[in-house]
Amino acid sequence: MLTRRGSEQSIIRKHEEALHQGYHRWPTLDFGLPPAMGDERWPAELILATWLQAETGRPPVNGLEYRVGRSGGGFDALDFRFLPPEQQLSESVPVDTSIPLNRRPGERPVEIPIPWYGGGMSFGSVSEQIMLARAKAAKEWRTFTSTGEGGYPESLVPYRDHVITQIATGMFGVREETIQWAPIIEFKYAQGAKPGLGGHLLGDKATVAVARMRESVPWVSLFSPFPFHSVYSVEDHKKHIDWVRTVNPEALVSVKVSTPTDIDMVAVGSYYAGAHIIHIDGGYGGTGAAPEIAKKNIAMPIELALPRVHRFLEQEGIRDEVVIMASGGVRTAYDIAKAIALGADGCVLGTTELVALGCTRCGNCERGRGCPFGLTTTDPELSQLVDPDWGAERLSRLYASFQAQLRDILRRLGLRSVRELRGRVDLLVYRKPGDSDERGNRIGSGQAR
Amino acid sequence: MTTACPFWLAERATEDSHLVSYSHTSIVGFPGAAVVTAVRPTYRRYRIAIRPAPDLVRLPPRFRVKVEKHRLIGLVLKELVRYRGDLPVILSRPCVYGVFSRPVGGLAPKEELCVGCLRCTVQHPEVVQIYPNPERERLGDSYLKPAYVDTLLYEARTGHVPVRGAGYRGPFGGAGWDGMWTDMSEIVRPTRDGIHGREFISTAVDIGEKPPQLVFDERGEPVGTPPKVITIQVPFLFDYPPRSARPRLLLEILARAAQEIETLVMVPVDLVVRFDLAGSHVVPVVEKETWRWLPRLSWSPRMIALAGWNRERVAELERRFPESIPCARVPMDSDVLDLVRQGARVLHLTADYHGMQGGSFVMDLIRRAHQRLVEAGLREEVTLIGSGGIVMAEHVPKAIICGLDAVALDTALWVALQARFAGECRDPETAPVSFPRLEPAWGVQRLKNLAASWRDQLLEVLGAMGLREVRRLRGELGRCMFQAELEREAFAEVAGYGADA
Repeated sequence: MLTRRGSEQSIIRKHEEALHQGYHRWPTLDFGLPPAMGDERWPAELILATWLQAETGRPPVNGLEYRVGRSGGGFDALDFRFLPPEQQLSESVPVDTSIPLNRRPGERPVEIPIPWYGGGMSFGSVSEQIMLARAKAAKEWRTFTSTGEGGYPESLVPYRDHVITQIATGMFGVREETIQWAPIIEFKYAQGAKPGLGGHLLGDKATVAVARMRESVPWVSLFSPFPFHSVYSVEDHKKHIDWVRTVNPEALVSVKVSTPTDIDMVAVGSYYAGAHIIHIDGGYGGTGAAPEIAKKNIAMPIELALPRVHRFLEQEGIRDEVVIMASGGVRTAYDIAKAIALGADGCVLGTTELVALGCTRCGNCERGRGCPFGLTTTDPELSQLVDPDWGAERLSRLYASFQAQLRDILRRLGLRSVRELRGRVDLLVYRKPGDSDERGNRIGSGQAR
Repeated sequence: MTTACPFWLAERATEDSHLVSYSHTSIVGFPGAAVVTAVRPTYRRYRIAIRPAPDLVRLPPRFRVKVEKHRLIGLVLKELVRYRGDLPVILSRPCVYGVFSRPVGGLAPKEELCVGCLRCTVQHPEVVQIYPNPERERLGDSYLKPAYVDTLLYEARTGHVPVRGAGYRGPFGGAGWDGMWTDMSEIVRPTRDGIHGREFISTAVDIGEKPPQLVFDERGEPVGTPPKVITIQVPFLFDYPPRSARPRLLLEILARAAQEIETLVMVPVDLVVRFDLAGSHVVPVVEKETWRWLPRLSWSPRMIALAGWNRERVAELERRFPESIPCARVPMDSDVLDLVRQGARVLHLTADYHGMQGGSFVMDLIRRAHQRLVEAGLREEVTLIGSGGIVMAEHVPKAIICGLDAVALDTALWVALQARFAGECRDPETAPVSFPRLEPAWGVQRLKNLAASWRDQLLEVLGAMGLREVRRLRGELGRCMFQAELEREAFAEVAGYGADA
């Protein structure tokens, strides 16, 4: 499936080469900023900065803004209260960026060396090449990526120690062996971009291969129902967890939820049901297709949910027994650090990884053949625009840049471990776009550092 | 729709009117009222028939495609050499949407097909650049933004819910409606089938008098005048167009669409008479200046709106049209409690087209009005309709959460009919709105498509919350979140927050 054959070869190679050149040339700013690129959450600068990091493994030094967007609130209005230079840790001091994913006392410890892993993107919403690139990068960094709800392509099996099996309401592609392979099993109750609405794969993307994987009919739109029809209480939820732990006793259980008003209660309920990880997906999260009304209006952004959950779990005395992973609009290394300061243990990345692979955020993922860059598509021709090895390399370099920035942030805060940052809202400062940071650079201006 | 009948019966009959047809007989003592006597389970599910209704007026393309032609020719020549004349490779173009699909390719791009994916410019930055079309940015006005116009036109064209890939693209929350999020439930709700399949979520609302209880005499017969109630199948009705644009055809389109959607349309009484717009779906609006037209109304509307509240005029109205529900059309910052104590039971609270009244935004004004009536223990007896600043599908559930029973739509309707705003469209008296040459069937279908799309989006919001009927959404402030409150809670300990907030 992943081999290139026939007369398409030359055409694909031509465009692949041109695309790679474009990913390299645009961040140099020789052509300025693409006038039609970007939006408030992902301005053109941030997209180009992510491309550049995916190429070089380092943050930009040419003035491209790589820390924040221009949304005017949330992460974009937060900054850090860095220590005076003389009190910051020196480069020679080692800084630990690892986090545990299992805080349950007496259970098998699982750690990842960076406080993030890849979020669920199903086969169908993205190509198999993209899934493979993400799995390869996850393996290299000893972290994880998630299948999403679309089945477990065989090409992922060699990477199974780093692949989370997602079980969502449609149960697409869930089999006993995919549960047994998984080091982490993720129950997706809701998705931030379309909370309470289930999954949505439009017919154009339900190709023969996708339909086969999902055991459905080609070219027919697929809706995952909402909610799990077998879960109407925390007790039902616990039965779910008991079920997968019977099939795979070693697996950690993650519960992915959105951000309703009672997200704090949802988190406590998930903990008592036996979840190791509570994955909170904020309202501004990514998607392959969702009603616009849902993306903007249903459920709260992750920045506002995290402090509520963190505090409530602390009050309940269980904060140190459960891991909170945050997603839904986490774009940069700075966003990751801010999410942790607001109360998360770590983050889950989705759109950021796609941007690193060339996404321009045009929002045409759902239509026709899907993404013209070969990312969110299952079109046999377009999907070949991304070579999995090339993609894995891009993601690895992005991770390297993020880790370097995270270490830099921690040093400037005087912290030796990212674990010390969790819940430290006292290290944050609220600044509106246009305000200056501690070095006198305007936030969101692209002049930083 | 249901004719006037006792409240509990009206509710029962209307509740089920879209589910099961019942046979009705009169109630003794209440001529014209209805009672359920026998059930014939013939299922009729409410739905709005959608059909494609393409734009009459061609829109400017979203993007401008600027090609450096000499560089393009240079690129093709270079590829001729590099690929040794292999034409399929050389002629293979980066656009998958057909922008360069003419025989001359990039020399004459089809801008109307460009979706702004930017693949061409990523691959060949020195040859092609994509720009947002400034003409497109001139659609709408400062409140009804160009992006809103795009969405409304899509909805009116297709009747579908706008669905797109990638996450939210806009600012973090924002002012007005944007600073409010609706709730969802992780596990308890009607299933997705509830939205698009077997189960039913009701979007019907009642407009009229709603006494807290009925009184019965010794014989068990209800005492007094039966309350008058109208049920409409969607929680939105149509307001009349601004003074600058009230052609007969437009009003006929509004009226026919309202009839087919099973809702109501408000029309100035003089135009009702002059254009002969009789019908159970037409609500004449009477102003001081048009009061003299009232005697010429030869039929009995189900509701008549009075601009302002004047006891004498209301009494006169009730004398002339005893079957009609009087509705007080008043500015949204009016003292609603006082009006209700004076006897008003249906209030249409108005703001300007940008949602402002007396210096406040409708979201705050609706909450205030609703809260006053709740505190006085009168909210359940009153119907609140609101208009002004409700221009997107999400504004409907948000306005209802804040306390309205139903909303009256205005500028969104005009945009659906491809009206152009010549400047700020704010004051209904002076709003500079012009319509294209309207074709009746097209106009009706556009409004039906818009209504269908908005209703489906309402179902998405209700479904996410686990609510089975929109009536339950009214005033449910516990099922929403306000940005200001959430930020105060989340960032209370963040330095600098208080100062900036």
